[in-house]
Amino acid sequence: MPRLMRWLLDRRSGYLAAVLVVGGTIGLLRLFLAEAADSTIALVLLLAVFICAWVWEKGPGVLAAVLATLGFNFFFLPPIYTFTIEDPRNVAALFVFLVSGLLIGHLSALARERQRLAEAERRDLVALTQLSQAFLSDTTRELLLGMAADRLGRALQASGVAILLARPDSELFEAAATPGVVVQKDLAELAWRQGNSAALPSNVEGIDIYLPIRIGVQRAGTLVATGMLASERMAEGCALLLGLSLERERFLALAREAEKTRASEEMKSTLLATLAHDLKTPVAAASAAVENWETSVGVSGASTLARQELSALARRISELMEVVRLDSGIAHPRRERVACGAIVEAAMARFGDVLADHSLFLDVPAPELTVEVDPAQLTEALGHGLENAARYSPSGSEIRVSVMSEGDSVRFRIEDRGHGIPAAERERVFERFVRLPQAQNVPGTGLGLPIAKSLVEANGGTLTLQASPSGGTVFEISLPRAR
Amino acid sequence: MSRVLVVDDEAGLRKVVRDALEQAGHEVETAGDGDEALALAAAGPAFDLIVTDLAMPRRDGLELVRAVRKSSSVPILVLTVRGEEREKVRLLDAGADDYMTKPFGVAELTARARALLRRAEPRGPQPSVHRFADVTVDLEARAVHKAGREVHLTPTEFGLLSAFLGKPGAVWTHGQLLAAVWGTTAGVSNDTLRVHVGSLRRKIEQDPNRPSFIRTEPWVGYRFTPDS
Repeated sequence: MPRLMRWLLDRRSGYLAAVLVVGGTIGLLRLFLAEAADSTIALVLLLAVFICAWVWEKGPGVLAAVLATLGFNFFFLPPIYTFTIEDPRNVAALFVFLVSGLLIGHLSALARERQRLAEAERRDLVALTQLSQAFLSDTTRELLLGMAADRLGRALQASGVAILLARPDSELFEAAATPGVVVQKDLAELAWRQGNSAALPSNVEGIDIYLPIRIGVQRAGTLVATGMLASERMAEGCALLLGLSLERERFLALAREAEKTRASEEMKSTLLATLAHDLKTPVAAASAAVENWETSVGVSGASTLARQELSALARRISELMEVVRLDSGIAHPRRERVACGAIVEAAMARFGDVLADHSLFLDVPAPELTVEVDPAQLTEALGHGLENAARYSPSGSEIRVSVMSEGDSVRFRIEDRGHGIPAAERERVFERFVRLPQAQNVPGTGLGLPIAKSLVEANGGTLTLQASPSGGTVFEISLPRAR
Repeated sequence: MSRVLVVDDEAGLRKVVRDALEQAGHEVETAGDGDEALALAAAGPAFDLIVTDLAMPRRDGLELVRAVRKSSSVPILVLTVRGEEREKVRLLDAGADDYMTKPFGVAELTARARALLRRAEPRGPQPSVHRFADVTVDLEARAVHKAGREVHLTPTEFGLLSAFLGKPGAVWTHGQLLAAVWGTTAGVSNDTLRVHVGSLRRKIEQDPNRPSFIRTEPWVGYRFTPDS
């Protein structure tokens, strides 16, 4: 019985139903109200037309109006059982009846259609809302895809749903699907590659639809729904929602990854800071102890040696720690806009002591000349340059520190009057632990220049060693000028 | 004799700092971390100076400075390691008076301690005339002489110099100097400050490229050392 009802109420069975309803009404009228006034008969028939138009809408409505007119004439207007009309007034009445029937049918069908569309839109909206809530509650791609096919199937009133996504090697694969869904590969490919959607009548009921899953201007794959009863607009909405949700999962995954990296870098950084502290503290304690000892018993050759060696050790620890920090990838420059003059000033303040025995020329730039670097790192790099210049040029000789701007770049130059570095060796000194034969009796670890180069490059610059016209060496850091 | 509290989690460093300060004639007590230091400070007679490490388990140097500053203006000297410039500015702005970078010289440590203790002493009216090396500054007459010759300072340069003279030996963060001289840190950049300090140096230093009175504390600020 309910199946019969459903079949009867289905719009596709409307024409047959209209015939049945109008025929039935005429039969009942003939049986029980055959003697009633013509107007009563007409009103009852119009009611039948109205019902047909309301339930089955346009076509069946028109059919009902025509059938009712013919039936009215045939069964009720004298002479009955003929289509002839005796009384000419009844011709007009019948014409009015037909027009009224058509109008009533049209209006009620229109009202019904509007109501049905509004209802469908409301249902779509509710389904889309529920779908988006469901998608938002999934925090990983696996979770999202695991449930997406079933959820989409319900929202689209489709018998089968498949989600095909593009692999990096640009092949479509079935990322999720309801059981038993049959996908036409060529249509899916077309939707994904060309962005053309396709809709075709399903062999059961509803339509089969192939829609590109868009993410911005790109397409991530194809959404397939078979035997879908929902509107195409609804399907498009679902495809859009799916694309957004997939994109959201991607960003969430990226954010989780970044968070993991950050946490591990933070841990490394803390570990290294602790290590630096643990290495430097005993050295600091030892050199302070030597000084205390000198205060109480006087300075001796041994105490002086101890102090010097400890201070060399402290420097080596600093350099090694710097190398470890650079290698572990946590020495991210904290770049800001700094005046070149401030960098030179900081480098002179921190490392200027090594130049105490040299005659220093400073060419400090205009204050508006700026670069975008991590100030501490660039100061450190310049410091290594100053140290190098001081070590490898005779005391009393001239060291010239200058900053000049050339087009879009700024050059920090440290020029000494030492023996210079043979051209063949100029690249090699940037390798770690490389010390040139002529430098063997000068203290150093062979780490200063490699560290300086790494620091400069991390800040977007280049570091070179050149021969100076005077025969010495020019240590030059070149950086883009900040604008 | 001054009472000094030395706070460090490393026993070795605690001992050498203690020895150095005792040799310099101070009475020293030690604490292993910030919590112990606060307990000691609360229990006994007031300390005249606190020397503390920055990196310590539980309460670190910065937290100790903040806790102490809630109730006391005792001078605080913090021991740090290189590469903690931002931390140093934070320390100074939180109320620490000075910092030293490890490894440090004992002579330097005792000199800084002495300077801090001296600055903390109650002072009578300040003299109007200051002399260092061959420079004479008359704050009242706003006159500056170098090697007998008058030097003309701009109002900003004079403001900087008088701020420096008020706290000889002390370190100033950029922010503290801007606040002291311009009255505000808004709208004045560190670069502006640097330019004015540079021109002041050219007027009073022997060698402006290697300043000995107004020293740069890289990325932190300046230190006025008239007696060096």
